[in-house]
Amino acid sequence: MSGEARVRLEGVSHRFGDVTALREMKLDVADGELLTLLGPSGCGKTTLLRIIAGFERPTTGRVLLAGEDVTDRPAHRRATNMVFQRSTLFPHLDVFGNVAFGLRVAGVPRAEQRERVREALQLVSLEGYEHRRSHELSGGQMQRIALARALVNRPQVLLLDEPLAALDLKIRLDMEAELRRVHRETGATFLYVTHDQREAMALSDRIVVMNAGAVEQVGTPAEVYGRPASTFAARFVGDANVLPVDVLDVSGDEVSVALAERRRQVTCAGARGGPAWLVLRPEAVQVGRLAREAGADELTGVVRDVAFRGTGFQYRIAVDALETELKAEAPASSPELAVDERVTVDWTPSACWLLPRDDDARAAGGPLPTRQETPA
Amino acid sequence: MTGPGRSGLAGAFTVAGVVFLWGPLLVVVLFSLHSTAALSFPFRGFSLRWYEEIFSSAEVRSAAENSLIVATATAATTLVLGTLAAYGLTRTSSRARGPLALLFFLPITLPGLFIGTALLVAFARIEVTLSLATVAAAHLVYVFPFFFLIARAALDRLDPALEEAAADLGAGRWLVFRRVTLPQVWPVLVGAACLAFALSFDEFIITFFVIGPDSTLPMFIWSTLRRTIDPSINAISTLLLLFTLLLFVVTFALTSWSERRRRGSAEPLVVPALKDAP
Ligand SMILES: Nc1ncnc2c1ncn2[C@@H]1O[C@H](COP(=O)(O)OP(=O)(O)OP(=O)(O)O)[C@@H](O)[C@H]1O
Ligand SMILES: [Mg+2]
Repeated sequence: MSGEARVRLEGVSHRFGDVTALREMKLDVADGELLTLLGPSGCGKTTLLRIIAGFERPTTGRVLLAGEDVTDRPAHRRATNMVFQRSTLFPHLDVFGNVAFGLRVAGVPRAEQRERVREALQLVSLEGYEHRRSHELSGGQMQRIALARALVNRPQVLLLDEPLAALDLKIRLDMEAELRRVHRETGATFLYVTHDQREAMALSDRIVVMNAGAVEQVGTPAEVYGRPASTFAARFVGDANVLPVDVLDVSGDEVSVALAERRRQVTCAGARGGPAWLVLRPEAVQVGRLAREAGADELTGVVRDVAFRGTGFQYRIAVDALETELKAEAPASSPELAVDERVTVDWTPSACWLLPRDDDARAAGGPLPTRQETPA
Repeated sequence: MTGPGRSGLAGAFTVAGVVFLWGPLLVVVLFSLHSTAALSFPFRGFSLRWYEEIFSSAEVRSAAENSLIVATATAATTLVLGTLAAYGLTRTSSRARGPLALLFFLPITLPGLFIGTALLVAFARIEVTLSLATVAAAHLVYVFPFFFLIARAALDRLDPALEEAAADLGAGRWLVFRRVTLPQVWPVLVGAACLAFALSFDEFIITFFVIGPDSTLPMFIWSTLRRTIDPSINAISTLLLLFTLLLFVVTFALTSWSERRRRGSAEPLVVPALKDAP
C-alpha cells in the first residue's frame, strides 16, 4: 500500500444498547482497491458500512476519508455512495430520475446530467432504459441501476452492501464479472460486503475476514485461503479440515507433526513446537485404495460418504484414531471409491498450514494475537 | 342454521336498514326538487325553484362563503401542521414519540359538545372575540386527529431506506423531504386535507359554541328550521350532501390511487388508518 488511505478507520467501536456490533476496528483501504468485508451474519459488516457512509455515528473511534476526519459529518456531505442490499430505487421516479438524482441535488446542469446518466447506464450495460420505472426492471437490472445511480456521482468510495445477495446464482456470476469490469473501468475504491466467501475470493484485491465485530485477518484472497490467520478464517474462507496435531520438530520450513500417532511432514513457515492446528484444504488431500499393508506412519481410514460434484468427487473419510471426519476432493478422472472401502490418506506437504493451538482466547472475543506476514 | 324463513327475515332487516339509512336522505333530495312549497306527499312535480331561491338569497350566499372560508383555512392549517407533526414523529427515535402521538390523536375521542364548551370557556378567558377565526381554530382541534392518523400511517409505510439512499446521494434533510418523501405521500396528504375540509364544512356542534355574529351553512340551516319549515332548506341540504360526498370520493380516490401506485394493490389507506384509532 502506498500513499494515503482512501478510507481509514481508527479504533471504531459501535454499540446498539447492550449489543456490541463493532469492537476497536482498525482498517486502511487503499486508493482504487476492491476490498471485501467477509464475515458471518451479524458480525457487523453492515454497521461498518453505515458508519463509513454516515448513517451511524460510531460510539468511539474516528473515520477518515482521504485523510480527513469525517466522523461528525452527515451522510449527505460525504464523498461516498452506497448500493444497498435491497433495492432502494425511488418508486416515483423513472430510471433517468433515479440515476440523475445525485446530479440534480448537486445542481449539475441539465445537459451534463443527460450525458453523465447516459455514460453511467452504458457502464452497467443498460443504455436506453432511461424511461423505465423501477417495477419494470428485473432484480439484477435494479441493482445495476442502483450501481449506476451511485457511480454517476463519481464517489471517492463506493460502498456495496451485499448487492447481489437477493439474486440467483446465474445472475450473480454475471454481475460479479460486471462489477470487476466496472471497478477496472472507473478506478474507484470499492468496499464490498458479503458473507459469501466464494464471491469475496472472486472479486477482491484484498479480503477482510470479520468475526463478532472484530477483524480476524486482512490479506489477498490467496493469502487468506492459503495462510489463514485463525481457525475461524480457515473454516470460513473455503472448506477446510482443521486437525489437532503436535509439532515434533522444525527445520526451516520443514515441520514434522504427530497426527493420530503418525509422524507426518508439513511445509509451513514460522511454526513453533507444541500443540498446533493443521489446516488442510480438501483438494490437497489425496485418497487411495488401500492395496497393501499400511506403513507405520501411513494414515488409513474408511470412506463414509461420496458425492459427485461435477469437477470431481467429494469424500468424507473416517481416519483411524481420529475423531473428526476428513473432507477430501479427488478429480473426476480418478477412480471412484466406494463407501466402506478402506483407503490411505496423504497430502502434499506444501498445501498445509499450521496455526498455534491457542484459539480459546480468540473465540471468547479477546484481543487478536498478531501474526507476522510471511514473505511469499 | 340457515333456512328459507331465516334468510327471508335477514333480507327484510337488510331492506329495512337500507331504507332507514337512505330514505330520509332521498326524501330531502326529492323535495328539494318539488314544484310547490308542500313538504309532504303527494308529490306534485319537479322544478328548480328552490335552487333558484337559495342562489339568489344573500343570506345563503354569505353563509356558504363563510363555510368555505372556515373549511379552507382549517384544511390548509391542518395540512401544514399535521404533516409536520406526523413527519416529525415518524422520523424521530425519541422516547417522547409514543406519548406525543397519543396526545395528537386522542382528541378524536372527545365529543363535539366537550370541545365546543371547553374552547368557548378558553376563548372567553383569554378574551378573544368570537369570529370565523375562532371557528377555524376550533375546527382545527376537531379535524387534526383524523388528518394526523392518516398522514402518520402513510409516512410510517414509507421505506426509510429510500430516505437514507437520498441522503447518501447528497440530499440534505429538506431535499430528502421535498424530493423523496413528499412525492410518495402527497396524494394521501391532499386526500386527508379534503377529508378535513369536509369535516369542517359540515361541522355544527362546535361551531355553535364558538361562532360570533357570522353564520355558516349548517348554522343557517339550523336557524332557519327553528323559525319555519322552509323548502329551500332541502335544496341547501342536498347541495351540502353532494359537496361532502364529492370530497369523500376525492379523498378515497387519492389515497387508494397513491396506494396502488406504491405497490399495485387497491387497498385504500384511509380504512386501516382509521382502524388504528382507539
Ligand atoms: N439498529 C440496530 N439496533 C440494534 N441492534 C442492531 C441494529 N443494527 C444492527 N444491530 C446488531 O448489530 C450486530 C451487527 O449487525 P450488522 O447488521 O452490522 O450485521 P451484518 O454483518 O451486516 O449481518 P448480515 O450478514 O446478516 O447482514 C447484530 O448483532 C445486530 O443484531
Ligand atoms: Mg448486513
